[in-house]
Amino acid sequence: MSDESDKPANPLHLHLSSGPHIFSGRSTAQIMWMVNLSLLPALLWAWAVFGWAVLAITLSSILGCVIAEYAVCRIAKTASTIADGSAVCSGLLLAYTLPPGMPIWMPFIGGMLALIFTKGIFGGLGYNIFNVALVGRAMMMATFPVEMTTRWLTPALGKADAVSAATFLGQIKLGGQEALTKMLAALPDGGQLWFEFFLGMRAGSIGEVSVLMILLGAAFLLWKGIIKLYIPLSILVGVALMAPFSPAPAIYMLSGGLWLGAFFMATDYVTSPTQPRGQIIFGLGIGLLTGIIRNWGGYPEGICYAIMLMNILTPALNDWFRPKRLTAGGAPS
Amino acid sequence: MSLFSWHKSALPTFSRGGVHPEEHKGLTENLPIETFIPTTVSIPVSQSLGAPAEPLVAKAAMVKRGDVIATVPGGGLSLHAPISGIVKSVQTGPHPTLVHDTTITILAKSAEGDPEFAEQPGWQTLAIPQMLDRIKEAGVVGLGGAAFPTYRKLMLPKDAKVDTLVINGSECEPYLTCDYRVMLEESERVVLGSWVIAKIIGVKNCVIGIESNKQPAAEQMRKTIAALGMEAMDPAVKMSVVVTETKYPQGSEKQLVQSLTGRLVPKGGLPLHVGVVVQNVATAVACLDAVRNRKPVIERVLTVSGAGIKNPKNLRVPIGTSVEDIILHCGGYNGDVVKILFGGPMMGRTIADLDVSVTKGTSGLLFLTEAETNLNSYQPCISCGECLDACPMGLEPNRVSQYIEVNRPLETEQFGVKECFECGCCSYSCPSHRPLVQFMQVAKAAYRRQERKAK
Ligand code: SF4
Ligand code: SF4
Repeated sequence: MSDESDKPANPLHLHLSSGPHIFSGRSTAQIMWMVNLSLLPALLWAWAVFGWAVLAITLSSILGCVIAEYAVCRIAKTASTIADGSAVCSGLLLAYTLPPGMPIWMPFIGGMLALIFTKGIFGGLGYNIFNVALVGRAMMMATFPVEMTTRWLTPALGKADAVSAATFLGQIKLGGQEALTKMLAALPDGGQLWFEFFLGMRAGSIGEVSVLMILLGAAFLLWKGIIKLYIPLSILVGVALMAPFSPAPAIYMLSGGLWLGAFFMATDYVTSPTQPRGQIIFGLGIGLLTGIIRNWGGYPEGICYAIMLMNILTPALNDWFRPKRLTAGGAPS
Repeated sequence: MSLFSWHKSALPTFSRGGVHPEEHKGLTENLPIETFIPTTVSIPVSQSLGAPAEPLVAKAAMVKRGDVIATVPGGGLSLHAPISGIVKSVQTGPHPTLVHDTTITILAKSAEGDPEFAEQPGWQTLAIPQMLDRIKEAGVVGLGGAAFPTYRKLMLPKDAKVDTLVINGSECEPYLTCDYRVMLEESERVVLGSWVIAKIIGVKNCVIGIESNKQPAAEQMRKTIAALGMEAMDPAVKMSVVVTETKYPQGSEKQLVQSLTGRLVPKGGLPLHVGVVVQNVATAVACLDAVRNRKPVIERVLTVSGAGIKNPKNLRVPIGTSVEDIILHCGGYNGDVVKILFGGPMMGRTIADLDVSVTKGTSGLLFLTEAETNLNSYQPCISCGECLDACPMGLEPNRVSQYIEVNRPLETEQFGVKECFECGCCSYSCPSHRPLVQFMQVAKAAYRRQERKAK
C-alpha cells in the first residue's frame, strides 16, 4: 500500500438507511403547489368578470388558513408546514366556494376555523377526515347564512361595479319551473346558455363560474398524473342519473360547484379512497347524494355536503376495496 | 396510470406494480470489464446464507489461489483463497450485511505454480451428482445478490416437476451494468453455464430473460447460442432469449417467472412450485467454471458507479477486495459522497466503514452524492395511493406504516407484510418520502420476535 495520505478518507457524513436510496422526484409539496397552480385559471376568470374584490376575498381566505396552520405548528411545537402548499390550497378552495360579494373579513375567520377544526386538532396534513375547504364553507354557512347566500354579483367583463344577482340553482330551488322559465326568457337565446355556463358569464361562487377554466386546471392535473378520472367521472355520472328529476337538466349539469367539487375537492387524496373500485363507489355516492340534496333537500347546491358525507365513508371504502394481491393462493402446492 | 390501459406494452412483463427509475447505466455500460488485483484481501468467512464457516488456516500460513481456507463443519459451502499469499491475520472484521464476522486477511505474494484452472476433459459427460459436487466444492452461491448456495437450489426435491430454467439477465437495478458486460463479453460462458444448469435439473426449456434496455446483450446471446451450435450439441435442451419490458423489479424471481412463463408463484412458495428454477447470468458462469474448470468462486465482476466516484468501472476483483482499495483504483471520490452502497440503489445496503470488503454477493459498489439520493425527513401519509400502484405484490405499505407509527406491528399481516420482498418500489414512489420498506422490516421483525417467543 502506498503512502497513508493517499488513502481515501471516510466521508464524514455517511448516511445509513435501508433502501431504496433513490426516489421518483415527486414530493408532497410539489403536488400541492401544482394543484394550486391548476386553480389559477378559475381565479383569473373570476377576477375578470367580478373584479378586484375576488382577489381580496381569496387572499383573506388563504391568509386565514396559512396563519392558522402556522399557529397550530407553533402550539404543537413541530416544524412549520406552511411551505408544503396545502394550507394555501385549502384557502384557495374555500374562497372558490364563496359569493364574490362577501365581506372581506369573513373568509379569514372561515379559513382559520376550518384549518384548526379540520386539520389542526386531528394532527395535521394526512390525518383529517373531512376536506378542509368544505368544512370551512359549511361553518360559514352556519355562521354567516345571509352573506353566504345573497352576495352574488352579475358578471361583467371589464365593468368595475358589479350588480347583485341571484344564482340559477337558487332560483330553481325557490321557484321551480316557473322561475326558471322567467330567467331563461330573460336570456337572448339558447346558445347563450352555454356561453353563460360553460365559459362562465353568470352569477355564482368565485371558483365555479367557468366550467371551462375548471376543466383547464383539471386537464393539467390529469396530464401530470396527480388526479385520475375515476372519482370525477363517477360523480358526473351520479349527478346525471339524478338530472332528469330536475326542471332544467342542462343547467343542473353545468351549474354550481359540481365541476369544481368533482375535480378538485372530491379528489383530495387524504379524504378520498385510494383504490379504483372504492373511488368509483365514492364518486357515484357523491353524485347521487348531490342530486338528492338538490332535488329534495334544503340547499340548491348539494355537492359540498355530498362530498363531506362520503368523506366519512372513505376509511370503510379503503377497507372494503383493497388492492389485488399478486399471489392469491395459500400454501405452496 | 391511465384510466383505460389499452396501450399494453408489447413486451412480456409482470402483471402489476413496478417503477421506472432513472437508469444511470450510461456511466458504465460501455466500459469493458477491467481486472483489478489488490495487494491484500480480507475475506469474511460468512459468504452465503446458512451455517457460518470456520477458518481452516492460521496466521502466517501460505495459501495458493483456490485453496480451501474455511468451511462449514458438517458439509456446507467452502471458501477459497482469492489470491496466493500469506495469511496476515484471522480476526473479527467488518461485514457488509452482518456488521461483524471472522475475517481472513491475505497479503499477496506471487507464488510458483499458481493454479491455471484449465478445462477438465470429459466435463460435458459428467454424471449429474458429480456436476453438483463440483458446484458445491467451488462454493458457488447466487451471485445476483441473494448468495443462496447454488447446489442446494439445484438439488431438486424428489417430487418436484420442473420444466423450465430461467436465466436472469434482467439487471433491473439502476446503475448496475456488470451482468450486461458479462453477457456481452463472456456470452459463451453464460450460454454453456446455462446449459450445465439445465442439464443438472433436467429441463427441456431454458429461457434467458433480458430487459429491453440491454438489446445488444440479447443479440449477443442469440448469436452465441447459434454459433456454439447448442441445438446440435444437445437437442434435449431448447435455449431461447426473451426480451422483457424494462421495468423494476423485472429481475425479482417471482416477477420474472410471471413475465416469461405467465405462471404465478403461490403465496409463500418458490418458483420451484410452478416448475421453474431461476439463476442469475453470473451464477451460470460460476457453475460452468466449477464444472468445466473446477475453478472455485474466488472473484466476481461488479459495477463501481455513482456520481461520487471519479472513474466508474466494471471491475473483476478477487473476493475480499476492500472498498478502500476500489476507491483508490477508481480515482477517488468525486464531490461529496453521502452514501456508499453495496448493491443497487433500490435494494442495496449502506455501509459505514471503508474496510468492508467485496463478498460473493456484491454486484455493485455505489457512491451516491446528495443530488442522487434524498436525505430529507419524511412526512405523514397523504393517502395518495402511489405506493399501492407501485407495489408489484399488491400489498398495502401505507397501512403498515400507519400501524407501525402507532406501535401496532402485530396487526399488519392483513396488509401483506409477510409477502413483502423489500423491492423498494413503494418508498421510491412515495411523495412524502416515507421509509416504507423500513416500516415493513419493523413489522416483520415484530412477527419474528413473536414466533420465537411462541416456541
Ligand atoms: S418493498 Fe414490499 S411493500 Fe414495498 S413495493 Fe416492494 S413488495 Fe411492495
Ligand atoms: S405513497 Fe406515501 S403518501 Fe402516498 S399512500 Fe403511500 S405511504 Fe401514503
